[in-house]
This record gives sequence, C-alpha cells and structure tokens, in this order.
Amino acid sequence: ACGGGSTESSTDEGGSKSENSEEIYNWNFVTEEMEGQVQFEYAREFADLLAEKSDGRINMEIYEFGGLGSEVDQVEQMQDGIVEFAIMSPGFTGTMVTEGQLFALQFLFTDDMALNQEILNTSEALNVHLSKKYEEHNIKPLAYFTEGAMQWTSNKPLQSPEDFQNFKMRTQESPLIMESYKAYGADPTAMSWSELYTSLDRNIVDGQENPIFFIEDASFNEVQDYMTISNHNIYVAMLTVNPNFYDSLPDDIKKMIDETVEEMRPIAYDLQDKLNREMLESIRENETHSTEIIELSEAERDAFRQLALPVREYFINEVVGEDGKELLDMLQKEIEEVEE
Amino acid sequence: MVATLLTIMIILLLFGFPMMIPLIIAPLIIVIFFYPNFSGEIIIQQMVQGISSYVLLAVPLFIFAADIMATGKTSNRLLDFVGAFIRHLRGGYAITTAAACTLFGAISGSTQATVVAIGRPMRQRMLASGYKDSSAIALIINASDVALLIPPSIGMIIYALAAPQVSVGELFLAGIGPGLLVFFFFALYSYIYAKIKNIPLAEKASWSERWGVIKKAIFPLGFPLIIIGGIYSGIFSPTEAAGVSVLYALILEVLIFRTIKVADIPKVALSTGLVTAAVFILVAGGQAFSWVISFARIPNMVAEAVMGGDPTAIQVLIIVSIFFFIGCMFVDPIVVILILTPIFYPIAIQAGIDPIHLGIIITFQAALGSATPPFGVDIFTASAVFNKSYLDVIRGTPPYIIMLVCISVLLIMFEEISLFYRYFL
Amino acid sequence: MKILRKLDRVIMKIEEAILSYAIILIALMVTGNVLSRYFTGRSWAFAAEISEFAVIIATFLGISYAARKGRHISMSAFFDMAPAKTRKIMAIIIPAITAISLFLLAYYAYVYTISSFERGRTTTALLIPVYLFHLFIPIGFTLGGLQFLRNMWINIKEKDVFLATDKKDYL
Ligand code: NA
Ligand code: NA
Repeated sequence: ACGGGSTESSTDEGGSKSENSEEIYNWNFVTEEMEGQVQFEYAREFADLLAEKSDGRINMEIYEFGGLGSEVDQVEQMQDGIVEFAIMSPGFTGTMVTEGQLFALQFLFTDDMALNQEILNTSEALNVHLSKKYEEHNIKPLAYFTEGAMQWTSNKPLQSPEDFQNFKMRTQESPLIMESYKAYGADPTAMSWSELYTSLDRNIVDGQENPIFFIEDASFNEVQDYMTISNHNIYVAMLTVNPNFYDSLPDDIKKMIDETVEEMRPIAYDLQDKLNREMLESIRENETHSTEIIELSEAERDAFRQLALPVREYFINEVVGEDGKELLDMLQKEIEEVEE
Repeated sequence: MVATLLTIMIILLLFGFPMMIPLIIAPLIIVIFFYPNFSGEIIIQQMVQGISSYVLLAVPLFIFAADIMATGKTSNRLLDFVGAFIRHLRGGYAITTAAACTLFGAISGSTQATVVAIGRPMRQRMLASGYKDSSAIALIINASDVALLIPPSIGMIIYALAAPQVSVGELFLAGIGPGLLVFFFFALYSYIYAKIKNIPLAEKASWSERWGVIKKAIFPLGFPLIIIGGIYSGIFSPTEAAGVSVLYALILEVLIFRTIKVADIPKVALSTGLVTAAVFILVAGGQAFSWVISFARIPNMVAEAVMGGDPTAIQVLIIVSIFFFIGCMFVDPIVVILILTPIFYPIAIQAGIDPIHLGIIITFQAALGSATPPFGVDIFTASAVFNKSYLDVIRGTPPYIIMLVCISVLLIMFEEISLFYRYFL
Repeated sequence: MKILRKLDRVIMKIEEAILSYAIILIALMVTGNVLSRYFTGRSWAFAAEISEFAVIIATFLGISYAARKGRHISMSAFFDMAPAKTRKIMAIIIPAITAISLFLLAYYAYVYTISSFERGRTTTALLIPVYLFHLFIPIGFTLGGLQFLRNMWINIKEKDVFLATDKKDYL
C-alpha cells in the first residue's frame, strides 16, 4: 500500500453504511510516549470516551512508544493504515510537511497557556491550512494540543544568551530547532532521548529542553543541576487519523469520533496542566537530587526573544518559502487577535 | 498466531537455514496471512529501523578495532605478557589462557574474535605442555565467552538497544565483576585439574623477559583504560569510545609497531564488514520479528501470565534466565536478546529488578547458552576454527557448564556482584 | 560464460569495496565527530546520517557477499550431523528456498522504496531524500537471492557438498 490504501485493519466488514448496526470496531492507537505521560493518558481517555459513547462497540488498543519502532515508523504505519490513530509531534514529520516545523519557532505563542490552547483549538491557519498540508501526505489531524511549556535543564545556570556560549545543547533532529539554538550561540547536538540521560550525566551534552512532566518522568533532573523556567515555547502534539479509514466509516461513528475530539480539548489541557504542576513540585522537593530552579524575568526572556525572532526569517527563507510565509503570517495575526 | 510464528521459525532454524531466513520470513508470513490488509513493506520498514541506531554503530567499530589488533599480533603481545607472569604456576598455561581471554575480551566485543585471536595460539601451547585437546578446546570456548561480559560487549550494546533508558556505559561497568568471577572460577579449576592430572610445570620467566613483554604490551593494555576512562570522564559516549578505539588501534599498529601498512587497512575493514553484514542482517530481522510480537500484544500476554502468580524478583530472574539460556542454545545471542528483552524487560522492572542487573543476567545467560551442547553456536564456531569434530569439541565442556551454572545462581542471588561499581561512583 | 564469470568478479570486487569502505566511513564519521567536538567544540550534524547510510548499504549489499563466502550465521547442528547424502540434498534445497525468500523480500523492499519516494521525507542535516538510502535494499536482496541460486547450482553440478560457492563443507 504505497502511502496507505488499506483501511480498517482489524474491523470486521468495515465501512458498511448501516446506521445503528451492532458492528464491533477494533482499532489501534499509537503514541510517542509511555504510560503516565501526556500522550498516552490522552489516548487512554480518548479510548474510554469512545467505548462509552459506542456502548462498547469501539475498542482501541493503545501502544506505548517503543514496540512499533521509531516515531517516524509510527507515522508511516498510520499512513499505511496499520494503526488507525496516532498522536505525533510535528517535529518528526518536519522534513515531509516542512510547514509543521513552525511549532519549533520560539516565543511564537503567548505566555498564557489557556490562551494558547484556545489558539490551537480555533486557529484557521492550523486547523484548515496546515491540516491540509498533512492531508496531502495521508495524515488527517483531528486536533492540536499542547503538552505544556518547554523549559531548559542544564549543568550550569542559563539566564542570558551569553550562558549559551559553547553550550552543548541537545535537541531533537530538526534543523530549525538546531538553528534556534545556534542563534543563542549554543552548539546544538541532535540525539535520541534514549541516550540523553547518560549523556547528560557524563556531560556529553550540557542541557536539553522539554516540558516539565517529561523532564521529571525521564529523570533528567537527577543528572542536571539547574532548571530554567524559560517558557520559550510550547510543546505541541497532534491527534491524527488515517484519512481513508476515517472517510470509510459510517456517519454515526464519525460523529462519535468528532464529538470525542471536542470533549478531549479541555481534558487534554487539564491533563498537561495537572501533570506539569505535580512534576514541578516533585522536582522542587527532590532532596537526593536537588535541582536549582531559575525563573526568568520578563527582561531576561526578552533578551532571548530578540535573538529568536530572526529565526523566523530562516524558517521562511530556508525551510518553507512563500506558502509557509502566508501560513505563519496568518497564525501570528490570530495569536495577536487572541492576545488583545 | 504465536504458534504459527514459532513453528515456522523453529522448523526453518533446525533445518539449518541461514538464521536471517526464519527471522524475516516468519513475521512476513504472519503479516501476509493474519493481517491481509497490511503490506509486507512493514517488515522492510522495521528491518531498516532495526539497524538505524547510533548506539549500534559501536558494534562494527569495536569489531574493527579488535580486527586491527588481531591482524597486528596484539593478541600475541597480551599472551606473552600474561604468560610471563603466570605460566610457571600449577596449571599455568590453562590459567594463562583464561586470563588472556579475559584481557582480550576487554578489547574485543565478541566471543568469536577471542576464540580466533587467543584460542588458536594458546591451544598449541597447551597441547605442547601436556593438556588433552578436548580440555584445551573446552577451556578456550568457555573462557572466550568472558568477552561478552567484560566491556566492551556486543551483547550489552544490543540489550541497551532493546531496553530503553539503559545506559551502555553503566552496563559495561557492571559486567566487570561477573567477568572476573568467571575468570577466578576457571583459574581455580585449572589449578586443581593440573594438580590431579599432574601436568608438568613450565619454566619461570626471568625478570628481563618480563620487562621485555611489559614493554611490548604496555600500549595494548592502555586500551581498556581509554574505553572505560573516556566514557566515565564524560569525554565520549560508548559509540564514540568505539570510534576512538579504532583510532587507538590504528595508531598502535600502523604508527608505533608498524605491523600494518596503510594500504592493508581496507583489507582488515573488509573482514570487519563481512562480520558486520552477517550480524546486522540478524539485527534487522530481529526488529521485524519483534514488531510482529509487539503488534500482536504478546508482551502483555506474557506479562499477565507471569505476574499473575505474583512472583518474587528472584523467581522472575530465574524465569528470565531459563528463557534466555534455552534461546541462546538454538539461536544467535544477538537475536535472542533483541526479541526476548522487550517481552521480559517490563516484567522484570515491575518485579523491582534493577535494569542494569537484568542486563548482566541476560548477557551471562547468552554466554552460557551459546557454549552449551548440543546446540550452542560457540561449539560450531570452535568446530570450524579448530577443524575438529562436534564430539571432540563438546567432550571437555561439562565442568565449565557446571561452573557457569553455579555462577549464574550466585548472580541471581547477589545483585551486588554486578552492581558493586555503584559504591565507587 | 566468460563474460558472466567476468561480471561475477566485478560484482564481487564492488561488494568488497562497499563493505570495506562502509566500515572505514563509519569509523571516520564517529571518530571525526568526537575529535571535532573535543577540539573545536562543534559537532558534525551529518555524522549520524552518513553512518546510517553506510550501515544500510553494508548490511543489505553484504547479504550476497556473506552468502558467497558461506558466512551467514546458521544453526547447523543437524546439518553437520546428517549423513552425506542428506547433507547433499539439504545443500540444494536450503539455498533454493533461501533464494526464493530473498526475491520475495526484494519485491517488498521495492514497494517500500516506492512508498519512501512518494512520502518525500528527507534526512534532517543533509536533506537527502531517504528513498535514496532505501534503494539499496531491493538491490541487496536481489543480489543475495542470485548468490544463493549459485550456491544451489554448485551443489547440483559438483559431487562434493558446498556451503557456498567459495566454501566447501569443512567436514
Ligand atoms: Na568484551
Ligand atoms: Na538505551
């Protein structure tokens, strides 16, 4: 199936149009995270809601990260209909849908997480135009949601761009993220997170960025001395579905999915909010591995913001071109409107 | 479905097919017949995924470094060095063999390389000093297995690949204790054996001879120091340590000892490439096999079955040991570790077992299983290397198997044997 | 026949060159990256991608070379213990089925390469289309299948048992 022909993999007689039938659906749902982390808990909640709504006719198997291969493999498996649903970070499809890399632009969203979630829910730039780019590649985004604000952890205090000089920063494998840290003067190194803990411990890299829940869950705080509350970006993930599969579903089932997507929006927000708060406390209270928490002032954040802004030019000129510029402009306008 | 998968796998395996075929074809058949909506492409995708890992690059590099050193006769320098201090003891040549295998294990990641580099020359010396061929070969096979426990170790790299969030560097440290324990058991046995069989004593080396061999061995002896030291001082990751050891080996053999010419390097690399290709196609196939197992939710089923009885950590370790031991008697340890680790890792963690300790137990069982008759792969390696019949190769192995089983009981009972390094960190 | 033999030699030389230089390339990339980071503070972003490419090409193009040299790992206990006549039959059937399997895999690898091409993903540092990496997989499986056919043929043609065209049974 080149790019995904096959549809409901394990559905019996899928795609029949009979409403109110007693057909049973068995679907697969893959995430990039483990139990107890935002994506996995989102998937679990989503599956529960759908099971309830369908009186148990819809069953979803949820896969943790690891068993089905890398993040990129998971995307391909969703495109091929091997799994029907997937949560993915735009970063891992960044060389395919380059526009999706815009989420790597720092200081793009507001400082108010509730507002950010509202933008993600309602933005036309994202939900219509960006989604269309994904659909061209057989990926149908159903929702964008945040897993929390991104923070830095480090083995020396990070308070101003000068602190990033000769700083070995671990990033995901995205040219744009790497460019963002070069703009601060750092030496970005791409590395899989499975190697990150040891590399931080042995000072092979000096620091990394992630939402707080992930920092705690992966124990990065154990091997880092400082955590800077920089809120320099928000981590965005997408709930996606295989479009051929989705289109082949009877209308009542589609409606159930759409309703569940809507119901999940506030739940997802609360989920990350609760996890990030709890984990911040847990890092604060960890006495065996104490981590000094640095809160940046607005002036300090501004110094980073000034260096981050030109990266948008790089994004437009080197990554996406004219089409992407329109998309970014539109999103920025939407963000400004919400902020007012 | 599980039954189909295993049946195809076992039948093809026992017929003596190249191991890659059961490994790749069994999951492909499952995909074709049990998931007719999927394309067989998924098998290819997972094969590529299986070999696309930065950690895994350490494997060809450590093999390359060992190949360079074996070509340049570094193994002989190590042999002479160990021999000059030990050979005059009761059972001296046997103890020398065990010690040299342990030392060369600290350079080489693989059992096979150690059998060739140390086993070949030491077998001649042992035969000349009155040992029976079967006992010499048995010692060589089993002592070479120490290479899997002493860092660097391919088995440990593969385990870290299958067990997320396990650091290769820590595994390396944890292997030292069990590796030395095996050496001490073998040395003690060699002493007793020589006493009972009345093996004549070898002549003691003079201090001038000792000084000579120290000078010749000093650079090769720096090797383990660079690997472990470099990783722990944070200068490089295990993969990079492997790269640096290639560089070190080249500096030694090409610049200092001048035993290899620059023009010969591609030839050495070819032999490394050949081994790498044979191993990596298995790693690729192992990932495809693993994908089908994960997709069919087999790990969850095994976990329910095992954890249902609410077992203790020791009981879980015993179950794990048995599965890996039996698996490695039939299949290459790399494949067994790749396929079984994702199944048993979550269970062991749930039972409160330290992931590093688990890795050492698994690596140990891999070594033990592959040296155990009737099917252990090492036996066939030795049979090919020494040109001896199967029966000649296995005749002397029982005492070693018994010792290794005893050590594995100790390991299961006392996790400190592997985790003692933590007191020094 | 002479042309075929010449072609075979050329292919073997290419396989040898690829295996050997893939290893040297990996060593250069990994070591170069450490040295660069240690001395200049900068890492080579492309090191991982190039190494990955070298690994893929060595693994899949290595199938046929390892088959030629009889170096694929197998559990040969029963094969070794079997009487000569059985061994001869097995030495024909095993490579035949192996060849068929590899041709089947070559087909799926070809389909996968087409999918990769259509997906249009590129690597992150050098922005190389990934299908160029995957292109070597169907080629590798095909060459591997052909070599196993030759391993079968030599056992049909000759009286002795051959583990591979370049390796006689050591028993
Ligand atoms: Na070793
Ligand atoms: Na790992």
